[in-house]
Amino acid sequence: MFRRLLQLLNREQKSKSVAKSRLQLILVQDRTGIDEEIMESLQIELTEVLSKYFILEREQVEVELEREQDSMALVANIPVLGTKVRHPVEA
Amino acid sequence: MGKVIVVTSGKGGVGKSTSTANLGTALAVLGKKVAVVDADVGLRNLDVIMGLESRVVYTSMDVLEGVCELEQALVKDRRTKDLYLLAASQKNNKSDIQPEQMKKLCLELKETHDYVLVDSPAGIEQGFQNAAAGADDALVVTTPEVAAVRDADRIIGLLQNMAINNLVLIINRLSPEMVKTGDMMEPTDIIDILSIDLIGVIPEDKEIVVSTNRGMPTTYNHKSDAGQAYKRIAQRLEGEDIPIPEFKSGGFAGWVGKLFKG
Repeated sequence: MFRRLLQLLNREQKSKSVAKSRLQLILVQDRTGIDEEIMESLQIELTEVLSKYFILEREQVEVELEREQDSMALVANIPVLGTKVRHPVEA
Repeated sequence: MGKVIVVTSGKGGVGKSTSTANLGTALAVLGKKVAVVDADVGLRNLDVIMGLESRVVYTSMDVLEGVCELEQALVKDRRTKDLYLLAASQKNNKSDIQPEQMKKLCLELKETHDYVLVDSPAGIEQGFQNAAAGADDALVVTTPEVAAVRDADRIIGLLQNMAINNLVLIINRLSPEMVKTGDMMEPTDIIDILSIDLIGVIPEDKEIVVSTNRGMPTTYNHKSDAGQAYKRIAQRLEGEDIPIPEFKSGGFAGWVGKLFKG
């Protein structure tokens, strides 16, 4: 806990962590050929579709390609405020 | 029947030829029969690193053109028994050799040698394609830098596409001090990213320059950290279970240490 607090105080990030996160980003692009522009338009379209069903916190939507070992995953974090879908009333 | 291992990296200047020369020597010192092959046609340098430049008479090109027999083109090492060099032609271009021809050469060499180490040129073009054509396994060399790791990732993808699936990584020129202070990626960071097995870490060592000046691989120097690290990789290639020393950032203690040091 104390250690974590000190880490937070240590504002300047170590250059090795910067290197690692830069590399991870570069490699997602290298490996998939998907650049930031494509990810952005994916995020916009995805938000559009989901908005038909849910009330979203649009500014907080995050869509990212992540890599784990040999596989790749599309990870989306989409905060939902409410739903637009009504339960059909059963007769 | 031996095996053919391509030594490759994508990026230039990360230590492919130095690694090939040192591992070839270390394996021969362990009693294996080794051929090191310079696949950098037009820009050969393995002969210089091994100190054999004055003894090169024929090259792989001469063998392919039928000017000489394969055996005649193999330069015998001066110091170590059962270590041979097949030099690359300096007069030709990389496109003068076809992957099929390299494959044939490698096949022939592995019939009479335990290890055939092929030193690949930098890049992903024909020179690399030729070098990897006859390979059973691959040693990927990188340094703990963004550009080198990025290129290593590219090369790993290309090797896998060529169905070379036994890939291991050498991290070269690691500075334990910089890793400790968090200013250099540590081996676990690089392995996380590249997702292949690590076979060894070569610490940054001024002896490499000295031994290259002399044309005598660092493996012979018992005081050289890099030379000893290469020796351990050779033993691991031979199946010995030798743990890889850990290089880690200092964490909390290191951070406080740095704080007080200013």
